[in-house]
Amino acid sequence: MIIAFALAAAVLFGSGAYLLLKRDLVRMVAGIMLISQAAVLTIIASSLNRGQAVIHVGPDDDPSDPLPQALALTALVIGLATVALLLAMVHRVVVVFRTSEQDALAATEAEVEARLERKRQADREEVEGVEGAKEDDAEAIEHEELGRVR
Amino acid sequence: MVRRSGRGAAPDSVVRVVARMLPAPSVMVAAALIVKGYAEVGDGFAAGVIVALAVSLTYVAVGADGAEAVLPVLRHAPKIAVTGLLLALASGFFPLVYGEEPVSHQPAPGEPLTKFGKLELFTQLLMDIGVFLLVVGVLVMLLHQFGRLRGEEKS
Amino acid sequence: MALDRGRAARDEAAPAPRLTPDWPGWVACATAAVGFFACLVGWLAGGDGFSVPWAPSLDLHLSFRLDGLGAIYGLLATGIGALVFAYGTRYMTLHLEHERRGAVERWRFWPWMLLFAMAMVGLATAQDLVLVFVFFDLTAVCSYYLIGFDRSDSKARTSAVMALLVTVVSAVAMLIGAVLLYAAYGTFAIPELIERVGPSETTTVAAALIAVAALAKSAQVPLHFWLPRAMAAPTPVSAYLHSAAMVAAGVLVIGRVHRLLERSELVMTGLLVIGALSIVVGGVLALRRDRLKQVLAYSTISQYGYMVLLYGMGSSTSNGAAAFYVMAHAVAKSALFMTAGAVTMATGEDRLSKLGGLGRRMPVLAVASAVAAASLAALPLTIGFFKDELFFAAAWEEGSVTTVLAVVAAALTLAYIGRFWVTLFLGAEKGQVTERSVVMVAPVAFLAAVTVVGGLVTEPFARLAASAGEVTAGRPVEVDPGYHLELSPENLMAIAAWTLGGLLLAAPRLTTVLSRTLARAGDLFGPRRGYEAMLHGLDRASAGVHGLEVRDLRSSIAAVLVPAGLLVGLAFAATPTDGAFALGHVSGADWVILPLLGLITVVTLVIARSRSRLAIALALSVVGFALAAVYALIGAPDVALVAVMVETMLALVFVAALARLPQEEPDEDRGSVVRKKRRRRDVVAGSIAGLAAFVTVWGFLSKPAAESVSDDHIRLAPEAHGGDVVTAIVADFRGLDTLVEITVLLVAVIGVATLMRRGKTW
Repeated sequence: MIIAFALAAAVLFGSGAYLLLKRDLVRMVAGIMLISQAAVLTIIASSLNRGQAVIHVGPDDDPSDPLPQALALTALVIGLATVALLLAMVHRVVVVFRTSEQDALAATEAEVEARLERKRQADREEVEGVEGAKEDDAEAIEHEELGRVR
Repeated sequence: MVRRSGRGAAPDSVVRVVARMLPAPSVMVAAALIVKGYAEVGDGFAAGVIVALAVSLTYVAVGADGAEAVLPVLRHAPKIAVTGLLLALASGFFPLVYGEEPVSHQPAPGEPLTKFGKLELFTQLLMDIGVFLLVVGVLVMLLHQFGRLRGEEKS
Repeated sequence: MALDRGRAARDEAAPAPRLTPDWPGWVACATAAVGFFACLVGWLAGGDGFSVPWAPSLDLHLSFRLDGLGAIYGLLATGIGALVFAYGTRYMTLHLEHERRGAVERWRFWPWMLLFAMAMVGLATAQDLVLVFVFFDLTAVCSYYLIGFDRSDSKARTSAVMALLVTVVSAVAMLIGAVLLYAAYGTFAIPELIERVGPSETTTVAAALIAVAALAKSAQVPLHFWLPRAMAAPTPVSAYLHSAAMVAAGVLVIGRVHRLLERSELVMTGLLVIGALSIVVGGVLALRRDRLKQVLAYSTISQYGYMVLLYGMGSSTSNGAAAFYVMAHAVAKSALFMTAGAVTMATGEDRLSKLGGLGRRMPVLAVASAVAAASLAALPLTIGFFKDELFFAAAWEEGSVTTVLAVVAAALTLAYIGRFWVTLFLGAEKGQVTERSVVMVAPVAFLAAVTVVGGLVTEPFARLAASAGEVTAGRPVEVDPGYHLELSPENLMAIAAWTLGGLLLAAPRLTTVLSRTLARAGDLFGPRRGYEAMLHGLDRASAGVHGLEVRDLRSSIAAVLVPAGLLVGLAFAATPTDGAFALGHVSGADWVILPLLGLITVVTLVIARSRSRLAIALALSVVGFALAAVYALIGAPDVALVAVMVETMLALVFVAALARLPQEEPDEDRGSVVRKKRRRRDVVAGSIAGLAAFVTVWGFLSKPAAESVSDDHIRLAPEAHGGDVVTAIVADFRGLDTLVEITVLLVAVIGVATLMRRGKTW
C-alpha cells in the first residue's frame, strides 16, 4: 500500500511539474492544483496507522491518526483560495495582454518594460537627486566673493 | 453557469425550481452540521460550503444577475465575510484579555457544558459560526466575481 | 528653491489666499509648553522613573527615568519646541500661502512635529537599548516627513530620502550592537549593562556599532552630508532638528551609553578623531556658504563635533562640559535658524550675497540674533562664553593637540558666525523687507534673553549640566563656570581664539580659497559620492534581478525546482537506504483504494497530455473526487467531506473562469522542431520531478514517526468537549492555524476582487 500511495503522489507531482513548464497559463494552474493534491495525499497517507474514523474513540479502538487529517483540511481550504486567486490572475493577464501564452507574454512584457524605462529613470533621479537639483558643495559657495578673489 | 444566453440553451425548468428551493434547506443542513459538529463529522467550514454550493446552483440555473435578483441578501456577502472573520478572531483572541492563551475555550476542559437539546453551548460555537459566515461570504463573493464578468471586460 | 517659486507665483498671479489662524500649531505649542513644565517639575522633584514589561519573553521593558541627562534633552525638546512651534504658526501660514496650499496641509505638519517632540522626550528618558532604538528611528521617520514637507519640490524629496537612509540604515547598527550586548550580557537595560559590561572584543564591536549610529544621527564626518541637504525643510523644522531634536539625538545617545563606550579605548579614540574632523570640516565649509541655512547647517556639524570631542575625552570635566554645551548651543542655534527664516520670509531672499544692511530695518531681530551669534561665538556676557570656557578647560586638561584644536575650532566659529551676522545686518542695504511679524521675532528675542540671563546667572544651567554629566560619567561631576579675570589657560585660549577668528573674518580671500578647496575635495572624494554610488549600485542590482525575474517565468520555476531537486538528490546520496523503503501490505478496504489510486494515476496522465482546457478542468475534478473517496476509505471522513465540497466549488470556479478566457489560439508552430524538442525536454523534466517525488514520498511514508502528538489529541478531545477529534484539533488544539487560514481566505478573495473588478468586492 505504501508504494501505491507513493506512486500515486509521484504521478500527481510529476504531471504537475510537467504542466508547470507549459506555455499555457491555464495548464500551469492545473499543474499547481495537481501538486497541491499530491501534497494533501502525502499528508493523509503519512497516517498509515489507518483505523476507524476518529470520532468518539473508545479505549480499545484503533483510530486513524487525526493530526494529518487536520493538516490536510487546512491545506485543502488554502488550496481553494490559492486556485481562485491564480485564476483571477490569469484572467487579468489575459484581459491586459490579450494572450495566455507565456512566450507572447514575455515579449509584451519586454515591450512594456522598454516603455517604462523613462519613468524608472525619473524614479532613480528622485532618490539620487536630479542633475539639475543636485548642488555640488563647491558651487554653493558665494559666487560674488569668488569673482572678487579671482 | 454563465453561458445562460450564450448558446441559447436555457437550463432545465426542474433545475430552476430546485435552485429556487434549495438555499433554505441548505441553511438547515448547515445549521445541523454546526450543531453536530463536535460529535460527528463536519464543522463551520463544511456548513459554509454547503450553503455556498446551494447558492452556486442558483447561479448556474438563473445566471448571476438572476441569482442576485432572487436572493438579494447576497449583496451583503462582503459584510457577512468580514463579520464572520471578526467574530472568529474575537472569539479566538478574547481569552488574552483575561490572561489565557489564545483560542482557549470556555467552559474550560473538563467543566460541565450547558446543553440545549443536542447543541452544546460553549465559545467554540462562536468561532464556528464565524467560520461559517466567513466561508459563505467569501465563496459567494468568488461566485460573484467569476460569475458576472461578461460585458465588463471591454470597459 | 520652492520659496522663490512660490514668491514668483504670488507676484505674477492674484494675491495668495489668506489662511485662518493656525490653531493646530498653537495646540502643538501649548502641548510642548505643558511638557516643558512637566519635565521641569519632574526633575526638580528628583526625577523618578518607571519600568513596565513590554515583551517579557524577549526581555524588553518600557523603562523610563527622568535623570539629569533625560531632563536636559527633555527640557530642550519641549522648551525650544514650544518656541519653535509658536514661531512656526506664523511661518507655516506664510509658507503655505506663498505656495498656495490649503490650511489642510497643516495636518501634514503639526502632528509630525509633535510626534517628533514626543519621540525626543521618549528617547531622552529611555533606559533600554531597544527602546532607545525605537525612539531613535521614530525621530528619523518624523524627520523624513518634515524635511519632505514641500513634496512638490524634488530637492526636498531627495533630501528627505537621504536623511532617512543615512540615519535609519546606520541606526540598524545600533540594534545589532544592542543584540550583541544582549547575547553577551543578557540584558537590554542600560543601567544593568553598564554594571555588567567589561572590556572585550564584543564590547568594542557593539560600542563601535552604537557609536556609528549616534554619529550618523549627529551628522558627524563622514556621514555628515545629509544635514546641509536637509535644509530643504521649512525653517521651523530646521531650527528644531538642529538644536533640540534629530541631531541632538545622536549626542544624547552617546551621553547615555558613554560608560559602555568607555570600555573600549578604540571607540573613545574614534570619537576624538571624528569629533575633531567634524569641527574642522564643518567650520571650514561654513566659512563661505552663500545660503543662510547652509552656513548654519555646517555650523551644526562643527558644533556637534565639539560635543563628540568632549565625550571622546571622557574625563569628568568634559562630560559635564558636553552637557552644558548642548544647552548653550541649542538656545543659540535655534535662535539663529529662526532669524534666518524670519529674514527669508521678510525679504524673499535666502542668500547672503543678496542681503545686507537689515539692521536698520529689523532692529529687534538684529539685536536678538546678535546676542545668539555672540553666544555661539562664545563672547562674554552670554551663556555661550561658558560653553567654550568649559570646553577649553577640558581640552587643556587633555593635552596640547586638543588645546590647539580647541582654539582653531573657536576661531572658525567666530569667523563664520561673525560673517553671517555682519553680512546680514550691517553694510549696504540689499533686499526688500515686505513682511514683518511679531510672532516670528518674539521667540528669537526670548531666546536672546535666556542667553543673556544664562551669561549672568549660570547656577541653574550648571546644576542641570552637572546632573547630566553625573549620569554620563557615573560619578559626581563638577560644572562650575564663572568669570575669572586672570591669566588662566582658558582665558588665554579664548583671547587667542578671538584674535584668530577676527583675522579670519578680516581675510575673506583666504577663507574663500580654503573653504572652496575643501568643498571641491569633498565633491570629488567625499562620502556623498559613496552614497550615490551605493544607490546606483542597488538600483542596478534591483533592475537586474527584476529583468531576470520577469523575462521568463519558466526560468524562475526552474530556479526553484532545480535546486530543490539537487538538494533532494544530495540528501539521498548522504542517507543510507538499507531498509528505508517498505512495500506495505494490502488488506480490507485497500482493495477498493488500489483501483481508485489507479484511476487517479491514469486521469492525471490524461490531464498532462490534454490540450483542451475544459477537459483539463473536468479531469481535475475527477482526480479530486477520487481522492475524496480514498480519504473516506482510510478513516478520514472530515477530509473527505471537505474535499468533495472544495472540489465541487473548484470545478465551478474553474469552468466559470474558462468561460471568461478567449478560445485557445490555434498553435501555429505546432509540430515544429523547436516545439518537439521543448516538449521532449519538458517530459524529461517532469519525469525526473516525479521520480524524485516518488523516492522521497516512498521513503517518508515507509518510516512513520515513532511518536506523535496525535495520541494526546485523541486523549484530550473528550475533555475539550469534542467527539470528533479532527474537529477538536481544528477548532481548539490548533485553533490559531484555523484563524490564520480563514484570514487567508478573506485576503485571497480580496485579491480576486482586486484583479477581476479593480477592488470592488461587490
